[in-house]
Amino acid sequence: MNIKLLYQLSVRNIFRHKRRNIMLFAAIAVAVAGVSSMNTLIRGFQADMLDSAVSNLTGHLKVYAPGYRDDPSIERSFRLEDGFQPDIPADKLLGWAPRIRVPAVIMSERETRGVQLVGVNPEAESISFLADVPIDGEGLSATQDDRILVGAELARQLETKVGRRLVIITQGADGLNRERGFRIAGIYDAQGTGLEKIYVFTGLARLQQMLDSDAITEISVRLKEEPQKASVKQLLIETFANMEVMDWQELEPQVAAMYLFADGAIYIWFILMMSALTFGLVNTLVATVMERVKELGMLRALGMRNRMVISQVVLESTIIMSVGVVVGLLGGYLIYLSMSDGIDLSSFSAGVEMVGMSTHLQPVLLVDDFVLVASMSLGLGFLASVYPAWRAVKIKPLDAMRH
Amino acid sequence: MSEVVVECTGLTRTYDQDSVPVYALRGVDVSIMKGDFVSLSGPSGSGKSTLLNIIGGLDRPDGGEVVVSGTRLSTLSDSALAELRLHKIGFVFQAFNLIPVLSAHENVEFILQLQGVGSALRRARSTAVLDSLGLSQMSHRRPGELSGGQQQRVAIARAIVTNPALLLADEPTANIDSATTEELLSLLQKLNREQGMTIVTATHDPMVMSYTTRKIKLHDGMIEEDESAVVV
Repeated sequence: MNIKLLYQLSVRNIFRHKRRNIMLFAAIAVAVAGVSSMNTLIRGFQADMLDSAVSNLTGHLKVYAPGYRDDPSIERSFRLEDGFQPDIPADKLLGWAPRIRVPAVIMSERETRGVQLVGVNPEAESISFLADVPIDGEGLSATQDDRILVGAELARQLETKVGRRLVIITQGADGLNRERGFRIAGIYDAQGTGLEKIYVFTGLARLQQMLDSDAITEISVRLKEEPQKASVKQLLIETFANMEVMDWQELEPQVAAMYLFADGAIYIWFILMMSALTFGLVNTLVATVMERVKELGMLRALGMRNRMVISQVVLESTIIMSVGVVVGLLGGYLIYLSMSDGIDLSSFSAGVEMVGMSTHLQPVLLVDDFVLVASMSLGLGFLASVYPAWRAVKIKPLDAMRH
Repeated sequence: MSEVVVECTGLTRTYDQDSVPVYALRGVDVSIMKGDFVSLSGPSGSGKSTLLNIIGGLDRPDGGEVVVSGTRLSTLSDSALAELRLHKIGFVFQAFNLIPVLSAHENVEFILQLQGVGSALRRARSTAVLDSLGLSQMSHRRPGELSGGQQQRVAIARAIVTNPALLLADEPTANIDSATTEELLSLLQKLNREQGMTIVTATHDPMVMSYTTRKIKLHDGMIEEDESAVVV
């Protein structure tokens, strides 16, 4: 089959109806640009959800003592050997943090609230939101630090401020209540998220002293890449044979569902946009074939084979779609660049918090998504040409010549 | 003894027109020899175009047999018929039927491309044919930029560039003026005399018939007269 000949005929036929095909190119380009730039927003939304989920003390993976999730107390805890390091390859591990997390009551002179008291090693918390969160005052300096960090919203509710003392009551390892006063080292601002109301942080060693325990209740592991979690989870299961090892999707099922939905949304959005366009493409191609009934009949009378007629129609469709896709992807990329500083969603802060997002949406461009849009569009272009090509080969040379 | 290029035996063809049968051919027997320049004439509905189309493999008879260059057409599939048309038969149509998006030269080359001829040979053959028909100056023009006579000359160039065993022309002069008609007929006559090309043309035009060496008249789907002119 002479591809050069088919290409020459197809290109010239496209130029035969410049205005109509320019409109078609434009429609495809706008749709592809819309889909690809929307994908960068959906990916940004996904990345933000994932980041929020794993930064929110969850990590990609977590190790708990059995039963802790149903009854979160120091009784459901486990010990690490001195100098313990998880056996995770360095190219996968971003960091890990041991913690104690127990329910507690916090009291100021005026108010009382229920909170989660978290004992942390401040150096290891580079894997959580504590590493980046703005703090009014000081952060915790060491595991021995006996001060606390409270969230801005909790501080507002307790009507307290940096330097003041708060009393915390929690249950010790012996089952008896412990009560202690803590000075506020700093007030963290987690951008209005629910974290501010829930978590109060202090030094891990100090909390162990308060609870009369040398155990921890959890290990949080942050990985360099999300897809590595399956293999690392297996490693952790082998290392902590009697513990519960869970990934972020199990710990945050709502976020995981939203994350998966975002994956599906890319396809749904593509199908909605491109299906309407495909009808336009089929219509144009059928019109092109019907306008050329006599010509196609003549070509077949001269000896052009059916497969060449089909190839010509398919190639025309593919060329139209390819040009539209290239221009559309370029447009999508330019739209992405124009949004590269991110989109401020602070006006919708209440809503975005509900789905686990921050108020700043940073678009994320994945080359795979552009390739997916391009290949699916070309696939649709091919499908769109099937009916017109079938119409073209149904033309009988003699009938066409009389047309 | 002259070689038989086309052998038609007992050809019948009936069309349905609003459920009424129309007998286009009613038992046509004819042999066309290599080097014949044949006109098929007769009033409208006499069956001349039907006979031409059946000989060219564009239509199939209801009965009878056609053999072109030793090939029985009834045994061929549609794609094999297309292959036969591509390699053995040249067509010249009443409405020229050039490809509007290709130049004159590309239109002529097109048929060679379909045959899979290499680009150098293709270019040489199409250039030679266009030169021989006096079209070299306008080879880059598209059909829309050519007169009717020029378009028909390009169509003839396209039909003969493959050196077919048989050239079929359906009312080739119907859309051109009388001066151009004479010019084209001289051209066909030259091809017939100098290259021995077998030409069959369906026509109403007495001028066309005056150039042909064999005149077959059809009437109501049957051959009424078949006379050979004395070639001087």
